[in-house]
Amino acid sequence: MSKLKLTGLVLGLLGFAIPLVVTFPGLSLAGHLAMSIFLLAAVFWMFETIPIYSTSILVIFFQVILLSAEGFINYSEIAYTPLPYTEFIATLADPIIILFLGGFVLADASVKYDFDKNMTRILLQPFGNRPKYIMLGLMMVTAVLSAFMSNTATTAMMITVILPIVAKMEPGDPARIGIALCVPFAANIGGIATPIGTPPNAVVIAALNQQGMDVAFSSWMLYATPLAIVMLIVAWFVLLKLYPPALDVIPLKLDGKLKKSRNAIILYVTFGVTVLLWVTEGLHGIRSSIVALLPVAVLTLTSAFGKNDIRKLPWEVLWLIAGGIALGISMKETGLAEWMVTAISWDQFGYLMLLAVFGGVALIMSNFLSNTVTASLLIPLAISLVTSGVLEGTAGMMMIGLVIALSASFAMVLPISTPPNAIAVSTGMVQTKNMISSGLIIGIIGIALVLLLSVVYWPFIV
Amino acid sequence: MEHKIYILVVEDEPEVLDSIVRDITMFESFFPIEMADTAEEARELIEEIIDKGDEIGLILCDHVLPGDNGVELLVEMQKNSETLKTRKVLITGQAGLQETVRAVNEADLKHYIAKPWQKEDLLNIVTELLTDYVIENTENPLSFMQVLDGERIADHIRKSGGLTDK
Repeated sequence: MSKLKLTGLVLGLLGFAIPLVVTFPGLSLAGHLAMSIFLLAAVFWMFETIPIYSTSILVIFFQVILLSAEGFINYSEIAYTPLPYTEFIATLADPIIILFLGGFVLADASVKYDFDKNMTRILLQPFGNRPKYIMLGLMMVTAVLSAFMSNTATTAMMITVILPIVAKMEPGDPARIGIALCVPFAANIGGIATPIGTPPNAVVIAALNQQGMDVAFSSWMLYATPLAIVMLIVAWFVLLKLYPPALDVIPLKLDGKLKKSRNAIILYVTFGVTVLLWVTEGLHGIRSSIVALLPVAVLTLTSAFGKNDIRKLPWEVLWLIAGGIALGISMKETGLAEWMVTAISWDQFGYLMLLAVFGGVALIMSNFLSNTVTASLLIPLAISLVTSGVLEGTAGMMMIGLVIALSASFAMVLPISTPPNAIAVSTGMVQTKNMISSGLIIGIIGIALVLLLSVVYWPFIV
Repeated sequence: MEHKIYILVVEDEPEVLDSIVRDITMFESFFPIEMADTAEEARELIEEIIDKGDEIGLILCDHVLPGDNGVELLVEMQKNSETLKTRKVLITGQAGLQETVRAVNEADLKHYIAKPWQKEDLLNIVTELLTDYVIENTENPLSFMQVLDGERIADHIRKSGGLTDK
């Protein structure tokens, strides 16, 4: 075990023990236990003492045994009504998890039939062969795909597209760096565009759902997609300024042809119908998590997606999200979240200042931690700010949720910030210092735009 | 990285050994290169590497050696579960048809390089075989992307789902 992990183990256990021996005034017994779980999870997630999805599973496990009605603690004489344990384990089938499951099935089936790869080649053709526009094309295609598929898988796929392009450029051409950076950046940015774009969105939406707020697929897109488009253009400009292409023309040969087998066609149709139903949720009102069952059902019943494909789904990501959702439940139910936020007198902060603090903390944290973990740790606190009246109503809740989810996704300074960044650096075309300078600029512009939207755009449409 | 993946070069003529190692030196920072001039010495090296918990990704082996010959060594490695997956290549001018057939059939020979070789060919073969090796045998081949076939490794990540959003 590395020193870092060992430190995490010690600190995590220590964190777990503190609320068991120290009594915090104003916090119930259940609140103390919830705090033990919170501290353990926060430290283990930060130090990755155990894999992050294991920490999530551990959260649910401890909640069941310490905080549920069927657990080991007798709450009958205390003013806390424990939730049935099914509430905690049901996070694994939360509507948002089912939505992601549908997205995963579509994405994995697309990879299986090379839909992602061939679509990319077809979509890139109109962008011609000038490096500037090739880059714009790469970014747009990456962002669109990563809005519906995993950012990581999209990046890996796009790397197979850009390596032959880069091979045709001079070794000293700065645009090599620009092209290698544009893909992970566009993938990170594209992830914000839809609820299924990236896991932190799920954690935030699930927390809002628990407050009785429905977030339609189309509403999320209305809030976040315009920002994704603007950020894409910003990132394009920044990368062109920092790494101007030396060549005028890159000879490009992209031949993409969609597969025509029966199963491939079933996939195209299912993909099209599902996405169409998702983005029009506002019109027909069928919930996106219900629509998500469509690809799961159709692709498996037609055997386009078989048993082995099901086994290969990224289940650990669903566990990771579920743990984040569960943590939020116990923090809210036990009053821990509210207790934590009342420790700071937030009323001195203005409304915008408050959003800025959460956005800034999310941005900094998720540069070092998993984006999902960042959202899982921050959203319970943010929600209780709203429920305790510091922020106002549903609009306030939606906005702070957006601020957290979007800021977490704009963290792209380091290779460890997101897996797409790690892939880009692994190609050897980019060095960490390139990523730091451009990622920092994009992150700062990103959070500034998020705050701007929370003044001039979101309040009027939420 | 938890353990190292070695390249083993077995060749009895010092100049030839040098020239092979010189040609593949670009891999050295990712795959340490070990050299032996007889099959016996190679066996000792293999044992040492395995005992340390490391593995041998690729062996480039001459056929005619003092003592046991190269094909003999490769067949033996194929029978050992620790070196079964090692990619095996003969670099030789003198292996006859019969021995070569034996190497293909019994040692799963991946390539036969005739002396003298072109540096570019050798690099391509080593790149391809090591890429195969890391894709099949490592959990996270990402770290080898810049020295091996990045396109294939990226495509493997896309298909295997070994790396996910988090």
